[in-house]
Amino acid sequence: MAVTLGRVWQGAQALAEGLRLTFTALVRPKNTVKYPLEKNDISPRWHGLLALPVDPETGNDQCIICFQCERVCPSRCIHIEATGRGKERVLTRFDIEMDKCQYCGLCVEVCPTEAIVFVPHYEASTYNRANLLYSLEDLHRAAPKEPVARGVVRGRVL
Amino acid sequence: MALRTEELILNLGPQHPSTHGVLRMIVTLEGENIVEVAPDIGYLHSSVEKMMEYRTYVQSVSLADRGMDYLAALANEEALLRAVETLGGITVPERAQWLRVIFLELQRIASHLVWLGTWGADLGATTMFLWCFREREKVLDLFERATGGRLHHVYFRPGGVCDDIPDGWVEQALAFCDEFPGRIAEYEGLFTANPIFEVRTKGVGVLPRDVAVNLGASGPVARASGIAFDVRKAFPYEKYAEVEFDIPVQQAGDCFARYQVRVEEMRQSTRIIRQAIAKLPPGEIRAPKIPITLRLPKGEVYTRTESPRGDLGVYLVSEGEEHPYRVKIRAPAFSNLYALSEMMRGWKIADVIAILGSVDIVLSDVDR
Repeated sequence: MAVTLGRVWQGAQALAEGLRLTFTALVRPKNTVKYPLEKNDISPRWHGLLALPVDPETGNDQCIICFQCERVCPSRCIHIEATGRGKERVLTRFDIEMDKCQYCGLCVEVCPTEAIVFVPHYEASTYNRANLLYSLEDLHRAAPKEPVARGVVRGRVL
Repeated sequence: MALRTEELILNLGPQHPSTHGVLRMIVTLEGENIVEVAPDIGYLHSSVEKMMEYRTYVQSVSLADRGMDYLAALANEEALLRAVETLGGITVPERAQWLRVIFLELQRIASHLVWLGTWGADLGATTMFLWCFREREKVLDLFERATGGRLHHVYFRPGGVCDDIPDGWVEQALAFCDEFPGRIAEYEGLFTANPIFEVRTKGVGVLPRDVAVNLGASGPVARASGIAFDVRKAFPYEKYAEVEFDIPVQQAGDCFARYQVRVEEMRQSTRIIRQAIAKLPPGEIRAPKIPITLRLPKGEVYTRTESPRGDLGVYLVSEGEEHPYRVKIRAPAFSNLYALSEMMRGWKIADVIAILGSVDIVLSDVDR
């Protein structure tokens, strides 16, 4: 019987300790945010959606059609096509299948002109799978409105 | 007249919420007692080893992140790159090695926190789940600031790491190291002396030392059975030879011992992070002249690392191409999972979830 009483006493102590901890947690600052209304700050390095920033003066992006991002992509979700030769070479297709993309960032890393960048945006859900095929216009539109300063993305100044 | 009894075969999983993924267990019961447990795996097979044969080494890093153990992505990257760097004779710069040590230990803390939280939820302690994930978010914030990803980072590259840590990162990491031991004390306050927890875990699911050796168990499961083996000490890689830490060992081999080992490991990881931050030298973070399509010389290599789940080995055969000829991953969770039937035999059906949770399996690591 003495063993049982000791056990009861131990249980009561443990209960008191547990309640003390939970009540101290009650008065601490909250750790959660109300997600769709409030959002957490995300890091400047965030692997968000991909975009091709446009230079506002010329209206062109930085892509030199070197096909490096297409080659390095592990899930082969970038598709580039171009016509013409030499200086007249123009981009006819720059598609990213965002449903295949695994946000590894290798394309951003290999790009020699910082034409393809991550933007700190992550809400890409849609009801139609076809919407996840991002064409060149989509990628231009997704880009940040201010021109991305050269070196910021690559050198990770932030 | 004796009652006529017969054995009952019960199917647990693969969609059971407590099986931590898609594990199916075929449990043979004699009344309430477990006669035999046969884990049936393969529901999360993603064929990572085969896919790596068609990808370059840099591309395989992103695959190792998600195809293997998704709770410890950086530990997988390290395991793969240990093999690549050993075979290619690539020397990683000092700073990158220290950075890798810091990130691997943060990953260990994050992984153990998921284990502790979900195991607590299995045992009915929802508070534990919420508290552990609260601290894990802080680790993931640290990851996000440095690598850009919270779970899948693609941060390590052959010959170094992708980016240097941003300004203020070290202070944030040190602040976490200051805060975290107090949080571990809170977890212990909830669990260690709790009689309900003791009854459900102490003496339950004992894995004897010799059985653990025979089954190839490793990591915290083996250390809880009295095997003082840690790859970080036995075969030091990166800078683990230059930091001081203890291997927590328990002799009991039960669920409670596995809990004690993991909690102590989190403390030791904090200790390693502090030392690594103190010793972090300035300098290069990437070995120069490593092409993005790296070709390794012809040959084969086996390297082992200590992932949060145990001894993670990679056997890599190269034929001199851009991609490996064969990759074999020795997954720690696989070996630990097969110690399960030894642990569960003779216990009651109600203990199945407690024992399964204490092993800390990740099915994506088991199936690969």
